[in-house]
Amino acid sequence: MNQSLTRGALLGALLTPATAVTADDADIDALRAELAAMRSQYESRIQALESRLHDTEQAAEAARRAANADALSLPMTAPRVLRSQGQASAQVPAGSRSAGLFDAVTAGAAFNPQISVILDGNYYQDDTKDGNGAALVGEAFQAGGGHGHDHGHDHGGGDDGHDHGGHAHAVAENGFNFREAEISFSATVDPYFDAATYISIDGDGNVELEEAYFQTRSLPYGLRVKGGKFLSGFGYANSQHPHQWDFVDQNLPYLNLLGFHGLQDTGVQVTWLPELPIYTLLGAEALQGNQEVFGATLDATEQAELNLGDTDSGPRLFTAFAKIAPEIGRNHALQLGISYAHATQQQAVQEHTHAVHEHDHEHEAEHGAEHAHADEHAHAEHHDDVHDHGDGITEELHRAGLAGDADLWGIDLVYKYDAPGADGRGDITVQTEYLRSSKDLTVRSSAHPERIGSNRTFTTDGLYAQATYGFLPKWKAGLRYDVLGLTNKVSGGRSDSFGSSERWTADVTWSLSEFSQLRAQYAYNDILIGEDDHGEARERFSAFYLQFLMSLGSHGAHEF
Amino acid sequence: MKRRLTRMLAGAMALLAAPVLALDVVATSPSMGALVRAVAPDAQLTVLAGPDRDLHSLQAKPSMIRALRGADLLVAVGAELEMGWLPAASASAANARILPGREGYFEAAAQVPLLDVGGPADRAMGDVHPAGNPHVDLDPVRMAQVAEALGARMARLDAANAARYRANAERFGAAVGQRLPQWQAELANAPGAVLYHRDAVYLLDRFGVPLLGTLEPVPGVPPSGRDLRALAGKLGGREGVIIHAPYQSPKGPRKLGQALGWPVETLPLSPPEDADGDGYLRHIDRWVSALGKA
Repeated sequence: MNQSLTRGALLGALLTPATAVTADDADIDALRAELAAMRSQYESRIQALESRLHDTEQAAEAARRAANADALSLPMTAPRVLRSQGQASAQVPAGSRSAGLFDAVTAGAAFNPQISVILDGNYYQDDTKDGNGAALVGEAFQAGGGHGHDHGHDHGGGDDGHDHGGHAHAVAENGFNFREAEISFSATVDPYFDAATYISIDGDGNVELEEAYFQTRSLPYGLRVKGGKFLSGFGYANSQHPHQWDFVDQNLPYLNLLGFHGLQDTGVQVTWLPELPIYTLLGAEALQGNQEVFGATLDATEQAELNLGDTDSGPRLFTAFAKIAPEIGRNHALQLGISYAHATQQQAVQEHTHAVHEHDHEHEAEHGAEHAHADEHAHAEHHDDVHDHGDGITEELHRAGLAGDADLWGIDLVYKYDAPGADGRGDITVQTEYLRSSKDLTVRSSAHPERIGSNRTFTTDGLYAQATYGFLPKWKAGLRYDVLGLTNKVSGGRSDSFGSSERWTADVTWSLSEFSQLRAQYAYNDILIGEDDHGEARERFSAFYLQFLMSLGSHGAHEF
Repeated sequence: MKRRLTRMLAGAMALLAAPVLALDVVATSPSMGALVRAVAPDAQLTVLAGPDRDLHSLQAKPSMIRALRGADLLVAVGAELEMGWLPAASASAANARILPGREGYFEAAAQVPLLDVGGPADRAMGDVHPAGNPHVDLDPVRMAQVAEALGARMARLDAANAARYRANAERFGAAVGQRLPQWQAELANAPGAVLYHRDAVYLLDRFGVPLLGTLEPVPGVPPSGRDLRALAGKLGGREGVIIHAPYQSPKGPRKLGQALGWPVETLPLSPPEDADGDGYLRHIDRWVSALGKA
């Protein structure tokens, strides 16, 4: 007996996970018999159940018919039983129900992609002199200048009065604006891939491919690969489309450090979701680097003019990000993220003008310090370097070309509370991000030859913090503070530090249904538009939006 | 003696091994969770939403994605009820086993005949779902059918325990069958109910209780004062009960209840989140007694 005990223990220990029960044949037979008995017993019970069910249904049907005779008892829409229990197998159900084993019921047609259209328009009013406040918030003064002159990335417009260096995004003008119609298609391609396309058409009819990518479905170990053109996983707000924002417009750090579209580029993304007790997502991307601001390169003509060299072959933009979400209860969600991006090539042009009185040309020496004017856009059309003002004052435009690389850091924190109230009442979201961009450049051409080869490191950071609260069913109020340029400096061969731009925004959003939203937004802007030896130039203004968002087609996903 | 020892040993081993062998199951709602517990009491279960939240309007959260990451089986109500967040969450979970069309994706609504199928796909009629009303989980008989299908699915996923899953599902079906006559008797003369949303029609339909109306004029749109007055005018002089879920605004139901002198009940669609098969039956008891109250 002792021996068999040892044997059993050994066997058990060896085979534990595979076959916990190593019973002998007799046991198995007994079990089988038991099971068979149980099965027959339950089969008869189920049969009894079914016949009882049949009776009930007939009774119910009779009751309903009787009820229907009385108009008052008619339900608003009578429950329609397309398939009664008895005919279940005979009838084909409506909707698309896959015939396979692992059914799902959807209203979508079998092979068509899910289609949705989002309409996004607004009425806008600000109290700036020129009514260009919506453009100004995207051109807040940065030490290193903001947008590069990437003429290759032309949005086709140019006659809307807010053309800056070839960009003509649908920036709101005073009055009515149609921001975009976003058309999206998404579908499962095959067992291996999902794919999606997002196309944006602005009010002038300019079409832009926002995203078009595939994503793997069945890689092992929690890996997913995305390829194509897509919004980078950098940060939190970056991957959101405008209609998903809690406010009408983008926050200052994203708008100024990353541009209107954020990091939207062509390349490959790999994410890894390891199987851990807390949500942890790690990701990395290699992107072509066709950027407007961060990692922007100039067009070939300017590159030649400014001795900047050609655009390197891609990929020129690399990102890495990590997100962690501790478990804090089913109705709460907290996510912390850290992101990094590196652009291997960054080009910039610095422009400044010298007002030169013809009779005291030596005055120019006073302007020996390099000015980093933010009004470069305003001068973009000045291709000749000298302007005669006709009053004895000549304006000289000096352009300096800089090239190097750039780094971007981001930290994001998001908290959401799903309250028990009806239609979002009591729901809370808090969202904050900090971005820091640092461009490490060398002067490659300048009107002042002694500066060539000198280093310039431009650092600008920014932060936004916003919260929303569902104060009534279907009604949500939001408050946002955003600031650009807490640090706003140039170091290296020249040292200088500049002020910041900031803004307070409050809005109220009314979601009449899941498919329509109306929003009113007020913002007080204090935007630094330029700074030189003579001091800061600021524009302080109020801006007001009324926005509508209409969602047509399939249900949108409530992504985190 | 020898056999008893072997058995004890085997039992101990089975206990030790259970956490390794148990299916990792994620259920979207507590009613699906109750079904999972009824069929596979040993399964490692995560329920994504509580009974006090609207399953249609949740948002994908990182904690859901984490739960889905290692799941062997995802049990959803289906028929587009969770479509706002579940596809987003399960796609982000990087777990091919639980994607729709795979063995590890189970939809209750796909196992049973649906009500409210068809109808115009026109959102002027509200948040309509022409594929059918998804709220099958309040019909105990359909849930017995779902349990049977769930047992079969679990048997495929975990062949070693196949017989147990099937037997448990049958036991649940038998328990439903046992309660059925009692529920029928209780509701035989129920005058009917006004619901907030068409979310309990399967239960009403099962027991032949008339649906006297819904508070919301069309799905997803809260009632206006005029809607309520119209409803009160139509139903005046009748008997009935008003039932709404905890996440639906209580204002309309209260007003209508006062106007008609009817009892107003707040009842979740799902049982408590730790409910098992018996918990689910008790949940139906609550609904039945609320419907019979009028």
